[in-house]
Amino acid sequence: MQINDPHEETFRPPATIGRRAVLAGGFGATALTLAACGGGSEGATGDGGEQTLVIGIESEADILDPQIAGGWVTYRINKQIFEPLVDEDLTTPSAEAPVPELVPGLAESWEVSPDGLVYTFTIRSGVTFHDGSTLDAEAVVYNIRRMWDQSAPQYSAKAAGQTVYIWRNVADVQAPDASTVVVTMKQPFSPFLRMLAQGGNGSCCIMSPQAIEEFGEDIADHPVGTGPFAFSERVRGERIALVRNDDYWGTVAELDGVVFRPIPDASARVAALRSGDVDMIAVPSPDSVQGLVDQGFQLSEGTPPHVWYLSFNMQDEFTGVKEVRQAINLAIDREGMASNLLAGTVNPAYDVQAPANDAYVERTEAYSRNVSRAKELLASVGLADGFTTTLTTSVDGSGQIVPAQMAEFIQQNLAEVGIDVKIQTSEWISYLGTWAQGAQPGTGMMQMSWGMTTPYWLYIATSSTLQAPNGPNVGYYDNPALDEVMAQAIAATDEETANDLWRQANEIVTEDAALAPIVNDKAPYVLADYVEGFVSASEEWYDLRGVKLAAE
Amino acid sequence: MSALTRLRPIAGRLASTVLVLLGVSLIVFLLLQLVPGDPARTILGAGATQESVAAVRAELGLDKPLPVQFLEYLQGLVTGDLGRSLTVNQDVATMLLPRFENTLILTGAALLLCLVVGIPLGILAARFQYGLFDRVAMFVTLAGASVPVYWFGLVLIGVFALSLDLLPTSGMYNTRNPGGFPDMLEHLVLPAVAAALVPLAVIARMTRSVFVDVLQQDYIRTLRASGLSETAILWRHGLRNALPPIVNVVGLQIGYLLGGVIFVEVVFGWPGLGQQLYTSITQRDLPVVQAGTLFVALAFVLVNLVADLAVGVLDPRSRRGGKR
Repeated sequence: MQINDPHEETFRPPATIGRRAVLAGGFGATALTLAACGGGSEGATGDGGEQTLVIGIESEADILDPQIAGGWVTYRINKQIFEPLVDEDLTTPSAEAPVPELVPGLAESWEVSPDGLVYTFTIRSGVTFHDGSTLDAEAVVYNIRRMWDQSAPQYSAKAAGQTVYIWRNVADVQAPDASTVVVTMKQPFSPFLRMLAQGGNGSCCIMSPQAIEEFGEDIADHPVGTGPFAFSERVRGERIALVRNDDYWGTVAELDGVVFRPIPDASARVAALRSGDVDMIAVPSPDSVQGLVDQGFQLSEGTPPHVWYLSFNMQDEFTGVKEVRQAINLAIDREGMASNLLAGTVNPAYDVQAPANDAYVERTEAYSRNVSRAKELLASVGLADGFTTTLTTSVDGSGQIVPAQMAEFIQQNLAEVGIDVKIQTSEWISYLGTWAQGAQPGTGMMQMSWGMTTPYWLYIATSSTLQAPNGPNVGYYDNPALDEVMAQAIAATDEETANDLWRQANEIVTEDAALAPIVNDKAPYVLADYVEGFVSASEEWYDLRGVKLAAE
Repeated sequence: MSALTRLRPIAGRLASTVLVLLGVSLIVFLLLQLVPGDPARTILGAGATQESVAAVRAELGLDKPLPVQFLEYLQGLVTGDLGRSLTVNQDVATMLLPRFENTLILTGAALLLCLVVGIPLGILAARFQYGLFDRVAMFVTLAGASVPVYWFGLVLIGVFALSLDLLPTSGMYNTRNPGGFPDMLEHLVLPAVAAALVPLAVIARMTRSVFVDVLQQDYIRTLRASGLSETAILWRHGLRNALPPIVNVVGLQIGYLLGGVIFVEVVFGWPGLGQQLYTSITQRDLPVVQAGTLFVALAFVLVNLVADLAVGVLDPRSRRGGKR
């Protein structure tokens, strides 16, 4: 996930929970009202001429500096303006490509030395930034140094902090000639290419050095990239408008422009779509989806790299015991949660890795619900009478779906095996802060939503070197055998070996039940019937180059 | 009475305004220190390492002691520098002023509705006290004052934007072809009505009760006895006498309007200060929250200052009272 988006969290749409429901005062009644009123006004079509796609997004975006900005919501915008060296093919739907294929971005090709230490990128020629300056090897090195080289004048601590997992193994970066960039590693780092294509927390999109020099601190208000769309204007809280880049090096986009409109309230977003004010919305309120589909709107879903999971506290007297963690995994009714509570908007998750990842292992059997087996396991460690523990989660937040209700669902499941779960919730940003501090005494489980298309994600979440508060291993999981396998996977020099090792790591974490994966989100979008060519690929963001509005 | 003695209470009020604003800043500053979470971590996300969090904290000046941070903030304030947003990396004044302007537009429109509808409604209800009009009007206003703004906003959208397709659902300008003032007016109607509902109801009810009181005064009976028309009594003499308490209530309601439009701004996607504040609070973007709160506090204090002064102009008794 993008654990980070500071904006999104506030208004995570399935607005039916906790604090927001209280604030909303009668949300349910409203939803009914809207459903009742909605019938009449479908079918606003793209008014011919200008092909501008208006997208209702779930929150105000972060800054338009792709190396610093956090969160999927913002990267969906930045990705249209900027491009990384190595990209993912997002033109193939999830069903056909469970893991998006790596494709050349601003690097038209690359070579990795046999020892896995030297990456040589050939920079695409004939590419210009939106400000007319030329993309060359120097420009790429300038960008990398902004994220990595503390001694460079353009170095940004924020960019470095966001992209630390991409650059931490880099020893040197050079541009031997105008079209070649050589990145030398301190040690082989097999996830490197896939990490270059990530965008949830910062990204290594290439920005115009000329613009960075010119605008300095205000660069985010003047984003200049090489992407299929160029920045036009931003009115905070109102709109971010992009126009087609006619000088784009690849296939030029169909649309004349795109407007991203933040509409934080889910019902208001649905209303805007119904009335034709917007052509497409992200995160519709779950109860509105069926009605919209019945009215002729299109539903687009995929399987992005998302896992809603629990981390167990290894220092806790109960959840520190493997049998207890396995019992909890066995007691949770993932199918019931997915089909009943969440009405099919998610898939049950049994593997710690998301399906959009080469090290995903399909294992529906592993922890399918088995209450009697769970009870046996608890009895085997002398906990037949159960125990009391605490589960922490947020009340909202992007990718979190409806965390409080889902936690209550788990609470009921675990009560059946005698475990008394106290739920502790807080607002998203506060929660992120306390989560990052790691599990406190008495807290058995901490919930989070996250995931990446690289198996390296497992390292970030479980490496013993990244235990909280030094990293996101919030349950203090420390397994030397796992560390060893992951180190080998990282150091592997061919992809198949690496993936095999990652799958082994996956088995270890699963057997240890260090995490409890619960569900994978489908990231639904609803589009007007005249929008053509939108693809939900296995990523948290999308490619708008092939999208067009059908003539009336 | 010399000009000086007349100005003295105003000067006193202005001085206390400065104190109020200082107090507001301090309280907001301290409150945000109590909330768990760290702006540096917010910026960097959950994957952040300890070192990168420390580096960003240092860059933002968050590693300095709290009193130093607060003093630096005040220093900036005196020189008109509201600081830079921690998360958006933009000058706070540049960021908030347009938002504040949008909030003022919405508040102004809502206020206009309150005055144009609320006061006459109250007067007529008082005129026909215990009649059908009075009962219906008071029932409706009681209901109006009790409706959650959020819900009412969504009902307005459902009826006027979706079913009848008369007005846009949200935003401030048409996204495809932003028009000028007329476009904005079209977008303004629904949020203004939603924002006006509660204060309008309060003002109408207040106006009624003040008027009921005024109409029972002896001088009104005298005016009636001297054969003045009921309309003249009501609008010329009655209103003049009832106005001071109404002005006071309106002043207070403007304050509540400024605070209460947050929900309206969220429901209608109105790019105002409330929406920005809400986002910034959850991000712990201290400079923005402080400046935004200051704006609201300043507006609240100023509006009530103006209301007090207006009462002084409208009601000679209050001026004499002040002198005694």
